Amino acid sequence: MQGIQAGDPDALSQLYDRYNGILKALILRVIHNEAEADDLLQEIFMEIWKQSKNFSAQKGKPLGWMVTLARRRAIDGLRKKQAYARAEERLQNEIEQQPNAWVHNATEDEIMLSDTRTLIRKVISSLPPPQQQAIDLAFFKGMSQREIAAKTNTPLGTVKTRLELGLKKIYDGLKELRDEL
Amino acid sequence: MNFEQFQNQSRLYVIGALEPEELEEFEKARKKFGKKAEEFITKCYALHEAFALSLRPAKSSAAIKERLMAMVKAKKEA
Repeated sequence: MQGIQAGDPDALSQLYDRYNGILKALILRVIHNEAEADDLLQEIFMEIWKQSKNFSAQKGKPLGWMVTLARRRAIDGLRKKQAYARAEERLQNEIEQQPNAWVHNATEDEIMLSDTRTLIRKVISSLPPPQQQAIDLAFFKGMSQREIAAKTNTPLGTVKTRLELGLKKIYDGLKELRDEL
Repeated sequence: MNFEQFQNQSRLYVIGALEPEELEEFEKARKKFGKKAEEFITKCYALHEAFALSLRPAKSSAAIKERLMAMVKAKKEA
């Protein structure tokens, strides 16, 4: 990040090589459209280049800053574009066909996972599916508690409890990883 | 709001899941707990990284990087 803050394009190139796969996966999870995800990925790295001076190592790691930025842009894009309706439909189909996409990902044998990813998935997949679903809708779709309650036909208080319990379990489960993240 | 409740709300806050009425209370508690609150919120942002890292990395088109680097170099030269 220091190289990028100093205006070195090679530093951005290295950052891109290291993190584009993670950020693209995040964007795709939000907007469910390959071409739009590629365009957004490019815009996000351009924003990283332009906004790098706002990054402070004291407030966290570069990946966290980039993920926060990418998630916000992807959710904004999702809300603005007419594709929202289509993504909603796809999401609905996903929910009906596989109540928990995280669990689905975790069972794909062909994926070679890093130790970090394995641990994170283990923690997430240990949650009851309703908690996973509530967190998935809040984090990857940017839904409010009320929107989640409406979408899943669940009382608002139950949604809040699911989010609180699920996030606490993930947070506690990741303690040993926190220094690496 | 005690600190344990604040911690629960912080985890919702970092993923943008607090309702407007909760946000007001949260900001009051944030001021009340001061530095301790800020440190905890910073730790909660690790959740963002964790969720991103839980996904299988996706391949992007090589043209994206080419376009990006061309834009960056053009901007630098301008």
